[in-house]
Amino acid sequence: MTQPIIDIKQVSLAFDKFKALDGVSLSVNKGQCIVICGPSGSGKSSLLRCINGLEPFQSGDIWVDGVGVRGCKNLPALRLSVGMVFQHFELYPHMTVLENLTLAPIKAKGMNPSEAKKLAMHYLDRVGISNQADKFPARLSGGQQQRAAIARSLTLEPKAMLFDEPTSALDPELIAEVLQVMRDLAKDGMTMLVVTHEMGFAREVADEIVFMDHGQIIEQAPVTTFFGAPRTERAKDFLQKILSKI
Amino acid sequence: MRYEFNWGMLTQPPYSEWIIDGVLTTFHLALICWVLALTLGIMIGVCRVSNSRILRFWGTAYVEVFRNIPLLVQLFIWLFVIPQLLPEDFSSWWNRLDAVPYWTAVVGISFYTSSRIAEQIRSAIMAIPQGQFKAALSTGLTPFQMYRYVIMPYALRIIIPAITSEFLTVFKNTSLALTIGVMEITGTTRKIEAWSFRGIEAYAVASLTYVLTTLLVIAFMTWLEKKYYIPGLIKRDTGHH
Amino acid sequence: MDWAVVTANAPLLIKGLITSLKLAAVAIALSFPLGCLVAIGRLSHRAWLSKLCGGFVNVLRSNPLILILFWFYFLMPILIGKSINDLTSILCAFVIFFGAYFAEIIRSGIQSVGHRQIQAGLSSGLSYRQTMQHIVLPQAIRAMLPALTTQCILVLQGTTVAYVVGYDELLHTTAMIAERTGRPTEMYLAVALIYFLICYGGSLVSRKFEKGQGQ
Repeated sequence: MTQPIIDIKQVSLAFDKFKALDGVSLSVNKGQCIVICGPSGSGKSSLLRCINGLEPFQSGDIWVDGVGVRGCKNLPALRLSVGMVFQHFELYPHMTVLENLTLAPIKAKGMNPSEAKKLAMHYLDRVGISNQADKFPARLSGGQQQRAAIARSLTLEPKAMLFDEPTSALDPELIAEVLQVMRDLAKDGMTMLVVTHEMGFAREVADEIVFMDHGQIIEQAPVTTFFGAPRTERAKDFLQKILSKI
Repeated sequence: MRYEFNWGMLTQPPYSEWIIDGVLTTFHLALICWVLALTLGIMIGVCRVSNSRILRFWGTAYVEVFRNIPLLVQLFIWLFVIPQLLPEDFSSWWNRLDAVPYWTAVVGISFYTSSRIAEQIRSAIMAIPQGQFKAALSTGLTPFQMYRYVIMPYALRIIIPAITSEFLTVFKNTSLALTIGVMEITGTTRKIEAWSFRGIEAYAVASLTYVLTTLLVIAFMTWLEKKYYIPGLIKRDTGHH
Repeated sequence: MDWAVVTANAPLLIKGLITSLKLAAVAIALSFPLGCLVAIGRLSHRAWLSKLCGGFVNVLRSNPLILILFWFYFLMPILIGKSINDLTSILCAFVIFFGAYFAEIIRSGIQSVGHRQIQAGLSSGLSYRQTMQHIVLPQAIRAMLPALTTQCILVLQGTTVAYVVGYDELLHTTAMIAERTGRPTEMYLAVALIYFLICYGGSLVSRKFEKGQGQ
């Protein structure tokens, strides 16, 4: 059996006295799309930040493509294998879209600038905004900015992608274009770990749903099982609240 | 490094007396200037935001003149130039005053500081959201009640940190008065250094005065802010002045 | 009033002005990089470095410039073991003093960029240094331009303090002329005008940078 791309074992994370994560374990295999959902403060975003070493966790370990995160001596190199997309896009406002995409390939991967540019344009095209390449982020709509941010991560050709509430900061009419890009990515076989409230997306695209609360994984099940017959009370409760909104 | 320390000399006359005088002079000079600057500064600050174009013009002119000329140059002008330009009677009265340098320093530092305070008052008044005025009036409060219960508490919380840190600026600026002959602490320690060649000990006393005062004032300010803190009311900026 | 005194001594005044401007320029050129280093040190995760830089900034901002000048003027010959050039002592004092002020401006400029931009940079495989260099500092400097300009004007005003150690910058030159010719009124008013024009002009530039922020 091939090893999981992301393997999380018994990870605990605490900020001062607050326990953000409590003994969390999760495996993500190649090509899987796993959606993490749960109430605010349940630790979902913290978990993502532990995976690429942005958040130093206190116990347990995470292996990304076989490399342990906790004792990792070269975090920048590890981060090249897992891309991250943020809630507020976090494009660099002082660079054009194209420069945003080529910065890391040139500086972190040591790529040749013209090669990086070609690769960047390829991914901009893939997310549908190649005509925005020379614009500054402020000139793009929210949906375009987030698509650019996804392209920025794709340009590093990672083994997996982490999405931290990618559509939560978008106006409703702009959410669809971003979800479409994510849908296409999943179809093309990208390994994805997505924190989101978009249950429609989850039902359609995800392989498994993970429900978190208070820093722990309460329930983890294949999509149909989770939506059809959630086992735990908390999950049932959460689903009811979320779905009644749609 | 060859240097013979002699801290003991600081505790003996005449140095000990000079030091005490120097510290006291620094403090009372700073306090007088600060109070005068506050009074003048509030008036000019209000002019700067007034509805009258003339008042606004003169307020702006005042502020721009006093903050774009170095304080040391201003002190020299007050010392050498202004007495020449004033009427005979006033000049002769002024020149016969005890401690002309001291009062010159008071005038010079007060005017300079008042322009800075005017700017802070202006920022504070402009920082209060217009909506606060409208909301208060629309609930039936009279203008006076609006100022008393809504605007002033808000404005004070913005102004007090700025004005307290302005005191520290004045406190440090008193050191420039040594150039016109005022024996505040920095001037005193320079004199001690000239007499005894023990510069480290002497200047350490001066630095200690400034650093301790700064720590005390900041502690007081922090205590004051904590006591009157309203969560989310004002985002504090740890910027420079 | 006899303004001919001013015009007669204009060459000397210009020389003094150039000296002041040069002093300010060199001080800024050296204290700004120092400020950058101290600011980054202050924001470091290593507690000892953060506290050291914080202490440096706080001590220097608590002391008046003139006292720092006296410290260096007195201490440098002792420390180095031989009597050194006046200008070196003066410059050291200025660079260390204004370095602390620049450090504060730079620190708050960096903090205004926000930690999420840093996370975005780091998560794309850039090292901390690369993230600072390409992502944080360019944005921070843009945000800090008004404050930095104002601080540069303050450096120029600060050069007048070198008067007390007899350095022949503009104020000292003016004082000498005033004494020699017995006409302080005209001379000091003239020099006040010179400083006013330069500093006011600088403040207009700073205001222009501030307006440019509202994109």
